[in-house]
Amino acid sequence: MRNIDWFPLLLSLRVAFIATVLVVVVGVALAWVLARRRFIGREVVDALVTLPLVLPPTVLGYYLLVLLGRRSPVGQAVEWVTGEQLVFTWQAAVAAAAVGALPLMVKTARAAIASVDPEYEDAARTLGRSEWQVFLYVTLPLAARGIIAASMLAFARSLGDFGATLMVAGNIPGRTQTASVAIYDATQVGRDADALILALILSAVAFALLYLTNRLTAQGSR
Amino acid sequence: MLKIKIEKSLGGLVDGSSSDANRESRDAAGGFMLDVAFEVPAGVTILFGASGSGKSLTLKSIAGLVRPDAGLITVGESVLFDSARGINLPIRERRTGFVFQNLALLPHLSAARNVEFAMTDLPKSTRRAHAMSLLENFNVGYVAERRPRYISGGEAQRVALARALAARPKMLLLDEPLSALDEPTKLAIISDLKRINRELRLPVVYVTHSREEAIALGERIVVYERGRVAAIGEPLDVFGSPIASSVARLTSVENIFEGHVTNVTRHAGTMTVALIEGEASCSVDVPLARYEIGERVTIAVRSGDILLATEEPRATSARNALHGEVSSIEERGGYVLVRVACGVVWSVSVTRQAVEELQIVNAARVWLAIKSHSCHLLNTDE
Repeated sequence: MRNIDWFPLLLSLRVAFIATVLVVVVGVALAWVLARRRFIGREVVDALVTLPLVLPPTVLGYYLLVLLGRRSPVGQAVEWVTGEQLVFTWQAAVAAAAVGALPLMVKTARAAIASVDPEYEDAARTLGRSEWQVFLYVTLPLAARGIIAASMLAFARSLGDFGATLMVAGNIPGRTQTASVAIYDATQVGRDADALILALILSAVAFALLYLTNRLTAQGSR
Repeated sequence: MLKIKIEKSLGGLVDGSSSDANRESRDAAGGFMLDVAFEVPAGVTILFGASGSGKSLTLKSIAGLVRPDAGLITVGESVLFDSARGINLPIRERRTGFVFQNLALLPHLSAARNVEFAMTDLPKSTRRAHAMSLLENFNVGYVAERRPRYISGGEAQRVALARALAARPKMLLLDEPLSALDEPTKLAIISDLKRINRELRLPVVYVTHSREEAIALGERIVVYERGRVAAIGEPLDVFGSPIASSVARLTSVENIFEGHVTNVTRHAGTMTVALIEGEASCSVDVPLARYEIGERVTIAVRSGDILLATEEPRATSARNALHGEVSSIEERGGYVLVRVACGVVWSVSVTRQAVEELQIVNAARVWLAIKSHSCHLLNTDE
């Protein structure tokens, strides 16, 4: 059997995993705020969070470059702390994947949290529980199925990010080249067998995740 | 003592966080205004009224689930809500012992874990034992490991009560707790509630639109009508007569007799009823109602509403003076139940001191004085 470079696939898994962890933390918090709090501009926030779902990846990548680049406060802060710039590193790929996956997380988790009967939360409050405990012991467990499904969607989406990743992390083999970028690279130079294997693996993982997600949400609505 | 003064207006569909409040606001044509004030001493106070009259909204205001526009809610020394001083205690600090209409048992936790969930101030190691003793106190220890969806309605009701008490509340707020239960389960839970009430003597606010529950449980009743208090008093007084006889048997009405109307005195507002028990009989005057002479009626008299005398009572307002013989004297913890045979056997509750001072002994000849308005007519066509 030919020697395949597994680095892009391993990098993609690592990027997707870290991005998913970030997206779960930020996304569930946002979803809770959107589902349970009333404030002016709530739907504006929802629309902003959803935007990456419909924007061209190049637009997303452009914004990220501006936000994380050497001239931005964020980019400068990171460079000051780590001594290295953020763009064109695999960490930048994490940022790109996370932004792309956030809308899926927020949309799904918001629906899951909104479907929890507020009376359970009120009951917990009357029993002396604080808002944080209500969230942790009542809302979260009751929305868990939807949130797990959302995390799997987020992971699948992170695994497949291409455009934004290419723009902010580049295509540096052995450093920032993720699987989706490697597939593009391989087809450009005629390494069709490499492209095929990576494509099949990514497809299989994505299919398995979607299948599990459907099973989870179907049981939830039963 | 729980003191409540609430004003709250709901216009249309403004408040979406509370489905009950919504329903109540929709019922009223063009907005709804709740404006009530009353006190709840220890014991069961019934909030009675049609749906949409503001009962649930009152309960939610006390618990802090709904914020009144204005008012003052205090329990004992502590202020739960005071619009004048800008005090609005968070729900978790109110200790209200709220039992929701749908119980709101947490579906992902077992019955025991639900009860433990309320024990915020106990160390974790002692919670399970305490929860089990609470559940067993309600005879539902066997459902401890089951999740709510595997627990029957009556069992779930008891688990919810146990959970509310586990938080060591300063009061109990019950929102139509029996509406979904069948008749035998209802009666069993009513007796549970009576026991809790005897043991704990907390202020209990019990929302219902069932007259039976109101009379069976209530020491006081607050009648709601379109967001206002229409009447406050004892259930039998507030409802007047006739009442269902099955209800009277549930309550502390010891004297229930059947008889028939022998005379109607329209100008005096009374009618005379001959009571029959076996061979014997006696006659009492009762409030006038729509009965014809000869019609069968059932009357109910509380044992505490009857006056016991050793001489014939004269010059009293009581319309009925019956002469009879003491047939038994029973000590009943706090009072003495004296049975007097005057044709039918009446039960009279008096203090021990009265028994001693009047030298009431078995077979003593005594008089009973009964106001006609203490004689409640029962509705027997059920």
